[in-house]
Amino acid sequence: MSPGRRTVVNLVLIALIAGSAYDIVRDQEHWPFSQYPMFSGVWRSPSFSWLRLFGVTADGREFPLDANRFIAPFDQSRLPKALRRILDGRDPDTRVRQALAECLARYEELRLQDRHEGPRLAALRLYELEWTIDPEAANVDRPDRRSFIAEVQP
Amino acid sequence: MREIVRRWDRFWFAPAPASTLGTCRLLFFGSLFLWQWQHDFSAWGRFSSVFWMPIWLFETAHVPQLSVPAIAVVQALWKASLLMSAIGLFTRSAMAVAFVLGTYLLGLPHNFGQTQHFDTLVVFATGALALSRAGDACSLDALIAAASGRSSSDPPDDGEYRWPIRFVWVAMALIFCAAGISKLRHSGLEWIASDSLALLLLRQQYHISDGEPLTRWGILAARHGAVARTLALMSVSIETLFPLALVSRRARVLLVPAGLAMLVGIRVLMGPTFEQFMMCYVFWVPWERVTAALRGRIAANKDVQAHDEGHEIAKARS
Repeated sequence: MSPGRRTVVNLVLIALIAGSAYDIVRDQEHWPFSQYPMFSGVWRSPSFSWLRLFGVTADGREFPLDANRFIAPFDQSRLPKALRRILDGRDPDTRVRQALAECLARYEELRLQDRHEGPRLAALRLYELEWTIDPEAANVDRPDRRSFIAEVQP
Repeated sequence: MREIVRRWDRFWFAPAPASTLGTCRLLFFGSLFLWQWQHDFSAWGRFSSVFWMPIWLFETAHVPQLSVPAIAVVQALWKASLLMSAIGLFTRSAMAVAFVLGTYLLGLPHNFGQTQHFDTLVVFATGALALSRAGDACSLDALIAAASGRSSSDPPDDGEYRWPIRFVWVAMALIFCAAGISKLRHSGLEWIASDSLALLLLRQQYHISDGEPLTRWGILAARHGAVARTLALMSVSIETLFPLALVSRRARVLLVPAGLAMLVGIRVLMGPTFEQFMMCYVFWVPWERVTAALRGRIAANKDVQAHDEGHEIAKARS
């Protein structure tokens, strides 16, 4: 290994360690560097809330889009967090309706590609659900509270 | 100071066989190619700016959200580069392309509301390999060079074949350790001593993760507070102490499989999809020893076979 190449490699090694150490010490994230904060908080409350999309069929029946195949490439972790950020940002009413319209279009696109078995939708609704955590997780489909946030139609 | 430099050099650049790094390259890129083969990133191009919340890297470098057809082209090139990197054809160029395009594609979803952490190690590993000479063995390039007489089929041991593997080790250790420190910083020992993990295991059953838990065993673990607290203690211990695996062979024997078991446990009990992270475990296997053991066993079998055949012939003659 030539001295020049060894210097380049050493700089790369130092960059990996320094970049990681910076984010760990500062408790910050600069992807792909990170302080890896997932699940680091303490859960004390037996209840929690989560944003969830519901499809509405032509006969008015509602069902939760609680599988990733309905909302791909989003997933059940990323989409609710993205929608939360939109709701917490500027002009939330307009922007969340635009976001839901895109989710509805994507649902339909996936349906036409046979990527899920869901019916054609007459509307898409966003709710905030709240559960008291059940020791058997038996109330997944029966949240304690459901707050309507927005609706879009095709 | 001189001692520190000497130890640094020995850790990163002690001569190592090319075949070990070559095997790691083959298995890492091969498994990544198979894992990503069906995955389609192009749909990220269809969402409007309402969803676009760029992360630091994309914002600073002004990396745009490409259109659906453009992402489809990028991912086709990326997958081709993964395959070429695995088989070792135009290896250095293929690995460089795999790193640049992979950083874009793997980073792209994080610009849509949430940064997840399953792929950072893949980006680091690909980056190290892109700079390395991992194509010097176990590759079509090496076979072609040997056939044309341009190089020997078995290059001598060199520090070039050590540092990329150690790079992945250190990156993995930093990730595990950072996760452990985060828990202790934000929650302290309460993360272990409270019912926090039990509640977390139950919460994950409510369709809130990027992947569904593979089983409902999390409910069983949560039912027994002592089990959940033991799992919490083990998780924080494995994560925080993982850097010891870099410097102690004994710690490595314990912590490396324990870290893998923890990732499998997270997938099984909680859902988050760490499969790509697990692929990087190929860098912990001493492939030169595995190969030597296999060769020894094959040679021993041949000896036994030859001995038996000789015995049969002698018996027939007598």
